[in-house]
Amino acid sequence: MNGNPPPDQVLGLEDLHVTVHHGAATAVSGVTLSVHTGEIVGMVGESGSGKTLTCRAALGELPAGCAVSQGTISFETNNVTDLSRRGWERLHGTGIGAVFQDPSSYLNPSLSVGSQLTEVLRVKQRLPRREAHRKAIELFTVVGLRQPERVFHQVPAELSGGMLQRVMIAIAISCGPRLLIADEATTALDVTIQAEIIELLRDLRDQRGLAVLFVSHDLAVIRELCDRVVVFYAGEVVESGPVEEIIERPRHPYTQALLQVASVGDFSRRELRVIPGQPPQVGAHISGCRFAERCPAAIDACRAAAIDLVRLGPRHQSRCVRANDPELADVLETELAAR
Amino acid sequence: MTAPATVETGARPLLSVENVDVVLGRGWRANHVLSDVSLKIWPGEIVGLVGETGSGKTTLARTVVGLVRPRDGRVVYDGTETSRLRGRALRSERRQGHVQLVFQDPLRSLDPDLTVEQIVGEGLRIRGGLDGEEIKARVTDALGKVGLDATLLSRTPGQISGGQRQRVSIARALATDPGLLLCDEPVSALDASNRNYILRLLGDLRDSLNLPIVIISHDLSSLAGIADRVVVLYRGTIIEDGPVNQVFSAPRHPYTALLMASAPSVKHDRPLSIHQLRRTAADPDLRPDLLAASACVFAPRCPFAIDACAVQPALEPVPAAAGGRWSAACHRHEEWPALARERAAVAAPR
Repeated sequence: MNGNPPPDQVLGLEDLHVTVHHGAATAVSGVTLSVHTGEIVGMVGESGSGKTLTCRAALGELPAGCAVSQGTISFETNNVTDLSRRGWERLHGTGIGAVFQDPSSYLNPSLSVGSQLTEVLRVKQRLPRREAHRKAIELFTVVGLRQPERVFHQVPAELSGGMLQRVMIAIAISCGPRLLIADEATTALDVTIQAEIIELLRDLRDQRGLAVLFVSHDLAVIRELCDRVVVFYAGEVVESGPVEEIIERPRHPYTQALLQVASVGDFSRRELRVIPGQPPQVGAHISGCRFAERCPAAIDACRAAAIDLVRLGPRHQSRCVRANDPELADVLETELAAR
Repeated sequence: MTAPATVETGARPLLSVENVDVVLGRGWRANHVLSDVSLKIWPGEIVGLVGETGSGKTTLARTVVGLVRPRDGRVVYDGTETSRLRGRALRSERRQGHVQLVFQDPLRSLDPDLTVEQIVGEGLRIRGGLDGEEIKARVTDALGKVGLDATLLSRTPGQISGGQRQRVSIARALATDPGLLLCDEPVSALDASNRNYILRLLGDLRDSLNLPIVIISHDLSSLAGIADRVVVLYRGTIIEDGPVNQVFSAPRHPYTALLMASAPSVKHDRPLSIHQLRRTAADPDLRPDLLAASACVFAPRCPFAIDACAVQPALEPVPAAAGGRWSAACHRHEEWPALARERAAVAAPR
């Protein structure tokens, strides 16, 4: 993907490396991914796989001690890798919106949620007071809050978790961003509310052409919402492709393992499986495949040298030496069943 | 792990919660959290308690261990009416650690300054009667039961992983040899692999110690793999209670069906979609009597509500079920599944 990015690309990460502990270790290594207009891309992986760091790099909000050491981040047609603080601030809200796991910790507990939304509109879009109020009510309606006039004057403590997440989404989309980054945005919610938020995100995509980067550790949630999925393991992308294809025919053993432990939703009694072992420590030196230690199908070639992403279809890639091995699926099936 | 619990219906239940009403707060702040809740736990069974935020799951668990006093009704544990104990008798009962609670977020419920050894041994020290050597042996034994080795003894909660922390909280609860374990959302903070690991561990503990376990969760699908019975709570009222395989194959309450339809899944083959179970703009406006306090708790959200639903139905045995151990509280438990199938399975375009 050299030269100019395609016109409908909203976010592009190219060979992104993020170091932590002031450069002592690399937590994200060589991540390449893109999100296009009207597309919902899911990022999935275990805790500590680098999903959140990648998101924060794409938001220009890396925590202290972390830095982009290599690679580029582009937003629409601009390279924003070395954007200044002011530049990022201008992009936040108007270009990129974000929602996170725990909505109550991002809202001021003593101000009404309406005033926190109008504040954004007045600062970012310089709307007059009355106009900001009208727009706020309109946004509360868009995100499906009933009685928006009433909600406007309520403080966060008076609203449920699902309503607060809707308020956060209203704030995130208030200034018409083209990209929404949702980091575990439905994880802490009840299943019925989670289903409603998933529908809301899908509606926003359909009606506004919003691009969404949706992070979750649950493949089942990704399956419900996303068009494409990027699987993270130990700071690397190990597989990416259309959701349907990856759920039907995963071509990386780690994706296969994630599928084995995901909620199947058939509510029948079945063996609860686990992925044995632990992911490698951040910064560990591994010569070959990072999943090899936990992989039931590992062979000598896996540990010999670094593994490249193998292209398996027009949009499907996998970082596995045996990705094209017809026996891989059988080996995984029997090995995983035996555990 | 998958063997169903052997429950002798003639035996005495280990725990019996009878017609419990709980009101938290006073005056205009009073909040009726549980109304007329009755629940029995039999030896050796795993019961899943599901419901959404604010449905009273946690309050019920707190009532059972005596942290909340019911306004009405009683809690009987192994023949002792624990809800009537006061003062010295209550303190002495609590110190025995018969009923243990495992909290949701181990990072917040474990003291960050204590070592794993101190955390797990604290209950034993408070109960008294054991010397340091014996406590240490019991602590190591409890950690062994949850699959952790003694090298973790000197670590603090901040120095171990999330899955290990949850195992430490379970070990802490096991140290006093409880007769009943209550786990409040034990897996909701964990990723899928660790979630399954903890659930499997709880299943193994039931098998090896014959320990009855109540697992509180808002996620039905993770309970399907492990629980013997499921109890569904909605706004402080039990609306369905029955064996997991029966309830999950043909739920008798529309809310149970809604919970099942809402659970995310990697497969797309649900018997009913959420749109068939939710009120839509096409449904007639809600009559005011369905919003009254005496109406069925689920009526305001129920697309199948009729006049009769202005009165909360009692939890009654499902006629078709063998053994009478499956009950539901719905006036229309016979009719609604057919009505649901006639509704549109996709959302109306907005």
